[in-house]
Amino acid sequence: MANINKRYAISGLESTSRRYKEDNKMSVEMKSQDSDNDSEYDQSDDHMEDEDFDYASYYDNDTDDLDIDKPKKSDDPEYFEFKLLQVEDVERLLNEEEATAGGQHTCPVCFRSMPLRDFFSLVCGHLFCRECWDVFFQIQIQQGITTGIECMGNECKILAPEDFICNILSKPELRDKYTQLSFTDHVKCPKCHVCIEKNGGCNHMQCTKCKYNFCWMCLGDWKTHGSEYYECSRYKENPNIVNESAHAQAREALKKYLFYFERYENHSKSLQLEEQTLMKITTRIQEKVMNQTGTWIDWQYLLDAAALLRKCRYTLQYTYPYAYYMEKGARKQLFEYQQAQLEAEVENLSWKVERAEITDRGAPNAVKRFPRSIKQYWVTNSLQMVIDFLVYL
Amino acid sequence: MAATRRLQKELTDLKKQGTRVYRDIEADEKYPFKPPKITFKTKIYHPNIDEKGQVCLPIISAENWKPATKTDQVLNALVALVNDPEPEHPLRADLAEEYTKDKKKFCKMAEEFTKRHAEKRPSD
Repeated sequence: MANINKRYAISGLESTSRRYKEDNKMSVEMKSQDSDNDSEYDQSDDHMEDEDFDYASYYDNDTDDLDIDKPKKSDDPEYFEFKLLQVEDVERLLNEEEATAGGQHTCPVCFRSMPLRDFFSLVCGHLFCRECWDVFFQIQIQQGITTGIECMGNECKILAPEDFICNILSKPELRDKYTQLSFTDHVKCPKCHVCIEKNGGCNHMQCTKCKYNFCWMCLGDWKTHGSEYYECSRYKENPNIVNESAHAQAREALKKYLFYFERYENHSKSLQLEEQTLMKITTRIQEKVMNQTGTWIDWQYLLDAAALLRKCRYTLQYTYPYAYYMEKGARKQLFEYQQAQLEAEVENLSWKVERAEITDRGAPNAVKRFPRSIKQYWVTNSLQMVIDFLVYL
Repeated sequence: MAATRRLQKELTDLKKQGTRVYRDIEADEKYPFKPPKITFKTKIYHPNIDEKGQVCLPIISAENWKPATKTDQVLNALVALVNDPEPEHPLRADLAEEYTKDKKKFCKMAEEFTKRHAEKRPSD
């Protein structure tokens, strides 16, 4: 009874509700009338009205529909039978949830029972206790994994977002490490596995912890990159590729593409970092001048070098797409040789510029400066060579 | 501490299910946040298990491991691998080749190998 009245209050159909108020002794009879009404409305073309009225039948899942034969509803492809929860059901369910919230839950990782308020889950809903999440994140971050931390659930691929991790991590130093690792470019030292951030354009890296010198691109020892023969820019193709399966060939093609793209990308990033280097140089020059070590003019060579570096990096960046599309042969070999030379010189200059501590003042310094001017000359020279070469091609 | 507790619980669960675990199971302190390691202490003639008893099981690889993975899931995966070798990713290429080309010979060799090296089942 009450239910039905409520129903009509919702429907907002004045006429019918008035009718119901008038006839408070409503009965099954009324119900059937109501259903008749329903069908009338449904048949009408006016959809607005239809929708309006359907609130009533929507909330009413009683048997009255079954009493009267109405085949058209089930013919409708959008018609679904579903069970609606009664108010009591809803209340019971809500209370149940509350009851468990106060109750205990077992963490599937450490198997301890704890109140539910100590549990957290990602959008996937896999609940684990705070302590387990915490230890899990700590171990992941200690391993250097930051961006791809997945939910602890079995075979669950949901990734943990940054705010979730930061909220749960209990150790502030790890939180700092996490943000540092996930938002800056970094690499692990191949020797001592400490995380190293690239803070300048130079690819010649030195581990702050173990002082190991290595190459940012290939992570190999820097000694092999220096004076003799720079190999890092050259992609070594598999000579037997024609005999391999189509699958292997596709993989090889992707590898080749990625190789060139990585180097292109790296130079473009380095180019941005050179901008920072330039700013650092300006401040350093100011410091030096203030400390009376050399005059402003003495330090100008650093700015020249930085400008040159930028130019070189820009050129180098675009030699990679060029090399990617080049046909195999002597010409490519020559190109790659030039590229490698320039690469080596650029890294060398980059390394020196970032660590420059002397000027050309005084006799002993002039001797030290000498190799650098040679280097500069070399770089200009090889840059010119590459540019000439490109023009020539 | 957490590792030992979890392992104890898992082993009692396994016993309830009727699984007998009688080989050494030890917990590394980082378990279950790092995957457990499995080695075969008895020699076995199997393409996916090398001479040192190392086994390559995807479910406990560092990339796939989840702290919520249960020991019984690991053991089931292990049993499945032992029963159905995967010659596509072998640790011993010679055995994998034999397994794919001459399964009869492989089975015979495996049987003899087992007779020679396997330990007796512990009596209940």
